[in-house]
Amino acid sequence: MLRIENLHAEIDGKEILKGLTLEVNAGEVHAIMGPNGAGKSTLGYVLGGRPGYEVTAGSVTFNGPEGPCDLLEKEPHERAAAGLFLGFQYPVEIPGVSNVQFLRESLNAQRAGRDEKPLSGAEFLKLARAQADALGLAQDMLKRPVNVGFSGGEKKRNEMVQMGIIDPAFAILDETDSGLDIDALRIVGDGINRIMRRPDKAVLLITHYQRLLDYVKPDRVHVLADGRITRSGGAELAHQLEREGYAEVVA
Amino acid sequence: MTAVLDLPSTREEAWRWADLGALSAAAALAPVAAPAHEFLDLPGARLLFVDGVLDEARSQLHRVELTDLPTSDHALGRRAAGKGWRLSLDARAAADPVQVVHVATGRENHLPAHIHLGDDAVAQVVETFVGAGWQNRHLSVTLGKGARLMRSVRLLQPAGFVSLREEADVGAAASLVAVFLGAGGQGSRIDARLTLGDGAFGDYGGALLTAGEQRQECAVRVNHAQPDGSSRQLWRAVAADRSQASLAAAVEVARHAQKTDGEQSLRGLLLHRTATVNLKPELEIFADDVKCAHGATVGELDARALFYMESRGIPRARAQALLTRAFVNDALERIGDETTRAAFEADADAWLEASLSRRERSVGSTAPRAVEILPGAEPTQLGPLGAAEGEG
Ligand SMILES: Nc1ncnc2c1ncn2[C@@H]1O[C@H](COP(=O)(O)OP(=O)(O)O)[C@@H](O)[C@H]1O
Ligand SMILES: [Mg+2]
Repeated sequence: MLRIENLHAEIDGKEILKGLTLEVNAGEVHAIMGPNGAGKSTLGYVLGGRPGYEVTAGSVTFNGPEGPCDLLEKEPHERAAAGLFLGFQYPVEIPGVSNVQFLRESLNAQRAGRDEKPLSGAEFLKLARAQADALGLAQDMLKRPVNVGFSGGEKKRNEMVQMGIIDPAFAILDETDSGLDIDALRIVGDGINRIMRRPDKAVLLITHYQRLLDYVKPDRVHVLADGRITRSGGAELAHQLEREGYAEVVA
Repeated sequence: MTAVLDLPSTREEAWRWADLGALSAAAALAPVAAPAHEFLDLPGARLLFVDGVLDEARSQLHRVELTDLPTSDHALGRRAAGKGWRLSLDARAAADPVQVVHVATGRENHLPAHIHLGDDAVAQVVETFVGAGWQNRHLSVTLGKGARLMRSVRLLQPAGFVSLREEADVGAAASLVAVFLGAGGQGSRIDARLTLGDGAFGDYGGALLTAGEQRQECAVRVNHAQPDGSSRQLWRAVAADRSQASLAAAVEVARHAQKTDGEQSLRGLLLHRTATVNLKPELEIFADDVKCAHGATVGELDARALFYMESRGIPRARAQALLTRAFVNDALERIGDETTRAAFEADADAWLEASLSRRERSVGSTAPRAVEILPGAEPTQLGPLGAAEGEG
């Protein structure tokens, strides 16, 4: 579903991704683990198309609901409309724009891109409320400005509420587990399974710790170090990393 | 023919950002046909002035009268002396909204106005400027004890210049709220002085949106003459292309005006790095027990927020419009009447749509020219995200 080949990318002329190759098939959940500064978030941003992240070599092919495409050729909003969702490690605060307005604009922009008709205010609110409830996010937070004054945990839940509303084909979730207590971790893990565990969907789960993987069982685990995938294995690799540390396992 | 104008020099501090050249240029504009303008769907008086002259057939005066009015000796204001409109309400009276539409067909026109509210009287006034040419206005306001006046003023001329000189005496426990929106192509100067009585409330603010070579400015002084007053000055400037928006807001607190609460929030947003926003928050405090806060920042749209929105599927131009609109909204949400607020928001939206689609077409940028001036400081060059907040 997502095929990344020999991807090189730089920020401000500094090479961060140095020949990364990875393939994720439909129906699979892949975890990416690795030390701080390895380039995990950079991978997410490059796939999302963030300005300033320059791809210097390699290719990314995305085979979503619309069929295969060259992901790197598309504008960021077109990647979203094609079915890609990026869960941010640090969700951005947007003063003056309510969560409801932001999400309705997002969803309807994506629907317009797919020639679907926009959802009415009432239809949208019903959908948003159901997703907020499922993730234990208080209803009044939907009316508040996007992420403004939200705790770290609330921001991460809000990312999952957004994912539930948008219902993407492919999700890249960047440290969605950080800042969550154990109950929130379970709720978020259940949310990922509920929204994304489908034969026609796939997930790339970027995480630092093994604990989220107890709830969202990965089909494959990859170690990302110094801009490359240095090792891949099954779910047991995550446990080994947790026990022995990256230095041991990667060396 | 260009009028010879006897106006202050921009070397004078209070006039440093005034686009005085644009005044004569506006006055020299060739006449245009009077544009159609619809009044808002509100009850009450409707005054249509064409080139400063009341169009009686299309106006309904209700409690408004036309009469000779004196003005002050202000350099712009004094030019408006002569026949103007007056709203005068007795104590405890409440009038339906008064709408005034000022249409210019070219050249220059000058008009005075006076609003007097007796004790506890309540009024709402909405003014709209359309057309071309130079429109100059003088307004004097006197509010009795506990009176409340809400004004909303929008400048929508495609070209020319609008200059407003306003002088207000806000009585004890009275409230004056004025919201300005500059969303046309004209130059402007909003020049005001408020004097606040015991426990009075004064709120003067708005949004100036500039594009092309346009220059708009406000220069507002709030004088706390008595104790326990509070004032708010919240201005937002959005500048595109090579335009310039300047916000100067001053608070003066007299020696015995203890417990004064003054707040200034001046913020500029640069849509292009060739645009300029000047900010000048000023505090002159002679009392010792006061609370005055001021913030002044100039920046660009938050790149992180833009990418966040794009990553959720919102096209870039739409994301820019949403963020800019949120920026301006702080100023417009102070309009109490829903019909009026909706109309002003629609004007702001129309401006954003036009200037952001133009922005999409332009490429390249030069070094930022955002200039920010802080109290007691000389102009400093700031990066696009330069910011300064202060408490005084
Ligand atoms: N805006 C930036 N400018 C320069 N270097 C950056 C920038 N953002 C990240 N980096 C560098 O890129 C490397 C990878 O960062 P990141 O992808 O955030 O790592 P991870 O998510 O694996 O912790 C780090 O060395 C970091 O310092
Ligand atoms: Mg990271």
